[in-house]
Amino acid sequence: MNQTEPNETREHRAVSIELINEIQQFLYREARLLDDEQLYEWLELLTEDIHYWMPGVQARYRKDDARFSSDRMAFFDDDLEYLKIRVARAKQPTAWAEDPPTRHFHMVSNIEVEPTDNPSEWTVHSLILNNRHRNEDDEMELKARRVDLIRRTEDGCLKLARRKVILLQTVLQAKNINTFL
Amino acid sequence: MRRTNQPEWENRVSNLSMKTDDKAELAAKINDLVDAEEGYLDRRIFWDESVYSLELERVFARCWIFVAHDSQLPEVGDFITSTIGEDAVIVSRGEDGKIHTFLNSCSHRGNRVCFAEVGKARRFTCNFHGWSFGLDGTLKNVARPQSYDGRSNLDKSKLGLHQARVESYKGMHFACFDPDAPSLEEYLGDYRWYLDIILDNDEGGIEFIDGNIKSRIKCNWKFPAENFVGDSYHAPWTHSSALIAMFGKTPNMRPERSYHINANGHGWEGGMDFIGNAATLKSPQIVEYLREQEAKFAERLGKVRSRMVGSLSSANVFPNLSYLAGHNTFRTWNPKGPRETELHTWVFMNANAPEELKEDYRRGVMLTFSPAGVFEMDDGENFENCTSVNAGVITRQQKLHVGMGLDSRIEHEELKGNVYQSQINEANQRAFYQRWADLMSAETWADVPVR
Repeated sequence: MNQTEPNETREHRAVSIELINEIQQFLYREARLLDDEQLYEWLELLTEDIHYWMPGVQARYRKDDARFSSDRMAFFDDDLEYLKIRVARAKQPTAWAEDPPTRHFHMVSNIEVEPTDNPSEWTVHSLILNNRHRNEDDEMELKARRVDLIRRTEDGCLKLARRKVILLQTVLQAKNINTFL
Repeated sequence: MRRTNQPEWENRVSNLSMKTDDKAELAAKINDLVDAEEGYLDRRIFWDESVYSLELERVFARCWIFVAHDSQLPEVGDFITSTIGEDAVIVSRGEDGKIHTFLNSCSHRGNRVCFAEVGKARRFTCNFHGWSFGLDGTLKNVARPQSYDGRSNLDKSKLGLHQARVESYKGMHFACFDPDAPSLEEYLGDYRWYLDIILDNDEGGIEFIDGNIKSRIKCNWKFPAENFVGDSYHAPWTHSSALIAMFGKTPNMRPERSYHINANGHGWEGGMDFIGNAATLKSPQIVEYLREQEAKFAERLGKVRSRMVGSLSSANVFPNLSYLAGHNTFRTWNPKGPRETELHTWVFMNANAPEELKEDYRRGVMLTFSPAGVFEMDDGENFENCTSVNAGVITRQQKLHVGMGLDSRIEHEELKGNVYQSQINEANQRAFYQRWADLMSAETWADVPVR
């Protein structure tokens, strides 16, 4: 192996088991906050410059343009201001559709941590499964692949700086998305 | 039950979905199910399979259904796939430069010939045996044509994909499977004057922003359609959480400055406040653009209609094309059985508007009126529960009341169509169901009155 290759250098800046463990715990904790509707606490996990993006995905032929794109319609294409509006709406006592509350879990798996050129940021791949139950017998499932950018901030905490959520469904099999993935 | 005396092939086909007698019997009862005068609805129109089956034939296979905006298919070979009722169609720009709409089902064994929802093609070729069709749906080639040598009735000119009529109004393309339907212009009637508020407030017209969000709601398609045709009544209540989160208050709708207006079952409800819908997009730039253009809008549309360009309003073109002026979203409610609807959502903007507003419209509609939007997410809950409760046999015998504003009709010097005072009203919903009942009970278009 030629260790002078820039890519090799990056590969060799090994991600420690401790760091992988810390990032996994960060994602699990995030998932639990969402499960418990602790949305203000969830916002605390985001950087000021967060970009939270869930593009609409289209069924297109391989030869045609990509199946999603940043200039097309999206479910979320949010900065912190937009995310705060969504949380503020969910927390209103008049959010009729949130009462009785949704019972759900966010299951995270296939977590893979990659170093980036910035020593305090990592690209983190994962799968997310959100199983939602509402009222008596309403059940919906959202499944997606995620790519995150996780940053260690100056105070030493991990925060979410970017998230790309790629739904597997091109037609959302649900009346709405009243949570975050 | 297998019949011993088989009638001729074509009759059997036409009777497959429903026996003619049953259809006539149900059609005769439709006016008992909808009382558009007094405003009572029988809930079975949202639930029964037999009503749904007749609806596919007499509403969706008969009306002009929106399929695409011109800007979605700029070049020869551009296509999208869609549905008319439950009939899957391809909408493509042919080599003649025109928009064609035809069934997405091979004339050989019926397989779909296109599986992408959008793209660019030279031919639509069936995966099964390789029959290929042109951008206008005509059969171009069959694989191994020599296999048809000898006595053959393979007439390519008769084996194209079944065509719908396509007509356009100011860039909006509609398709219709009924050869006896009136022209699109007649079908829209006086409502064209209101569509112009969106489609023709600027000489450049509108364009659709790329992409399309699709979602499934377990509701009858008529609940969302009637919601857009007239239901401003629900807005401050259903959407209280979003309105308070964004603005700290719910909007003030002024009965003396707002209307219900309808023609042929198409309808607009709204105020003359110019900006109410547009303001919820959280973009001062959009509001500023509209204010700058107001005088120009008035020049093209007249003062009255210029006040409706971005106002607190909603609208529906019968049967299933809804839109919000100001928010700049079009959407269709595509039936998938009596209890399920597929929502297709688009964002549009004036083609001549500054390019930088595109992001504001795209993100603004996403934040408000998309399945994850702070307004729309509460609507799906309502529509679903209005539908599912009718599983109860006693429940669905209880009539629904749609009786607000029974005496609100007015004569207006300028406004065309049937005009009613106050947007907090149910006149448009009654007109929507009246049109629906007219079509459901009519054997042919000749029996459908102009409303």
